[in-house]
Amino acid sequence: MRRYIGKRLIISVGTLFVVILLLFTLLQFMPGSPFNDEKLTKEQRATIYEKYGLDQPIIVQFYQYVLHMAQGDFGVSYTISKNTPISQLLQSRLPISLRIGGQAVLLGALIGLILGIIAAIWHGTIWDTISTIISVIGVSVPSYVFALALAYVFGYQLSWFPLLYSADLPFKSSVLPSIALCMFTIASIARFTRSEMLEVLSSDYILLAESKGVYGPKLILRHVLRNALIPIVTVLAPLIVGLMTGSLVVEKIFSIPGIGSLLVTAIQSNDYNVIIALSFIYSAMYIGIMLVVDILYGVIDPRIRLSKEGPHD
Amino acid sequence: MTNDLATVEFLPGDFELKGAETTKLDMNFASQRFWKDAYLRFRKNKGAVFSLITILLIILLAVFGPIVSHYTYQQQNIKETNMAPRVPGLEALGIFNGDETLKTSTGSKLKNAYIVNKETGEKSDTYYWFGSDALGRDLWTRTWTGTRVSLYIAFVAVLIDMLIGMSYGLISGYFGGRVDSVLQRFAEIINSIPTLVIVTLLMLVLKPGLMTITLALMLTGWIGMSRIARAQMLKLKEQEFVLASHTLGASNIRVIFSEILPNIISQLITNTMFSIPSAIFTEAFLSFVGLGIPEPMCSLGSLISYAFKNFTTHPYQIVPPVIVLALLMLCFNMLADGLRDAFDPKMKEM
Repeated sequence: MRRYIGKRLIISVGTLFVVILLLFTLLQFMPGSPFNDEKLTKEQRATIYEKYGLDQPIIVQFYQYVLHMAQGDFGVSYTISKNTPISQLLQSRLPISLRIGGQAVLLGALIGLILGIIAAIWHGTIWDTISTIISVIGVSVPSYVFALALAYVFGYQLSWFPLLYSADLPFKSSVLPSIALCMFTIASIARFTRSEMLEVLSSDYILLAESKGVYGPKLILRHVLRNALIPIVTVLAPLIVGLMTGSLVVEKIFSIPGIGSLLVTAIQSNDYNVIIALSFIYSAMYIGIMLVVDILYGVIDPRIRLSKEGPHD
Repeated sequence: MTNDLATVEFLPGDFELKGAETTKLDMNFASQRFWKDAYLRFRKNKGAVFSLITILLIILLAVFGPIVSHYTYQQQNIKETNMAPRVPGLEALGIFNGDETLKTSTGSKLKNAYIVNKETGEKSDTYYWFGSDALGRDLWTRTWTGTRVSLYIAFVAVLIDMLIGMSYGLISGYFGGRVDSVLQRFAEIINSIPTLVIVTLLMLVLKPGLMTITLALMLTGWIGMSRIARAQMLKLKEQEFVLASHTLGASNIRVIFSEILPNIISQLITNTMFSIPSAIFTEAFLSFVGLGIPEPMCSLGSLISYAFKNFTTHPYQIVPPVIVLALLMLCFNMLADGLRDAFDPKMKEM
């Protein structure tokens, strides 16, 4: 077990290092420099370079860069809000995005589980069909189509919820975005729960439990669901990817001041530092979650750990 | 008993090969039966057949839609902006006659932008089947031009899966050992960087456009496919027919591509079909956030993004691209589901 975690940890740190290296290389090749003013004399330029550490060899610069990144110092924004430290920008925006993402995951997981369980228990009936249709639509229709439909019906025509995000009503304005984001989660969790439960339901140990006289909710909750839910950890990674891309669009549609909309604005206005900081944060979050998922899965299901330690990966 | 047999002499003429005229020795008999079975199962699946027909219809419309209209996708008519849909024939029924209800602060009012003479109610001779946008461009032409982009992306996704993903996975699985280790670590690292970040960084270096999106898909799109191909290869490469082929002196390339590949192609096709909707989505998503196709070219995503700006006042502008995009995604997903069930009926219960 320790060996498995160690191996995963090394791979994750290595990947994060590759990401930083990539970002650093890109920065070196970026056109233009803040100091290519022709009026500067050679001495002045040398002083500036010394001040910012640009006279150091590239390896030392890279070392400094990694050190700063690790401490959460991402430099200042160039164009979006001039000379504001990026960490300050993030401080106000990150919680909003995390909140909406978290709500979407919770809501999606809950509804998805219920749908999946209903579909599996009443397998082959109209409930099964309805749940399958919902999950096919949820997987195939992009989240921004849902966001637009919700914004039009509940935000504009019925005016139940604010059409655009307002800081005074943080919960009320986060309802529609969370629903729009969670559709994909609902769909994938429902699909997965259904197939896993069907597999467990047809297994021998459920037959044994039934013949011992366990039935009804107790059978489903204690015997079926507990075993069916183990592999659901594997769906987490694609879900997080979906949430990341989804948040960009949903934040744009509802004008939410989160990190997704910050990234879009940064790209449109060529704010390199912000783009690179956000790329780093997105990668770090993703790699971290993948690491947790892998370790969790190894803890829950020893077979995975053993097969991953084998010669064929 | 042995004596009896010895006295009987068999001559070639004593036997007749039953059905000798109709049956020919068929080397591919098993695989033909497989494809025929799959076809029969697929035909029974109503959802999948419906999806296939819808996709074909969308392809036809994307090819001929822009040709039959009188407009081009970039032609502007500043006098005819924000016209509601008007279709000849249907307008007599009271629908699609160019009427639109505008919500104002004083209440809603009915307006028809096609009317040239206010007293007689005479309408001009122009028709915009899906309406026109804020710059006076025909939405029918633009929607189908945008659909072409999505279909191109679908084609690219298939090509990437089949060329890069498949070969990568097959080679990695077949050779195993150190080759496999190196290739898998590389794929793992690429896979650990979110696609979003890869695309964003590409946009910094390259200009937004179709080529950049293609490149982004190339960098990330093959990983899922390579995993499936590798897993299938690991399953098959220890089997007897592979050993037999080796013994007969077949080269590695031959064993991989003409012995093993035909046995796993159905799984690979299914997986390819599943990667199409996600590729279409990636493009539409990028165009929506403004990283995709630059104006005046358009894709479904950029059309939605453009119409989104005034979708509370002119909701008809956003409807056609949204419906086409949703239909494309839905149908490719259902088609992939249908193909999976057809190739592997055991999976249906899953």
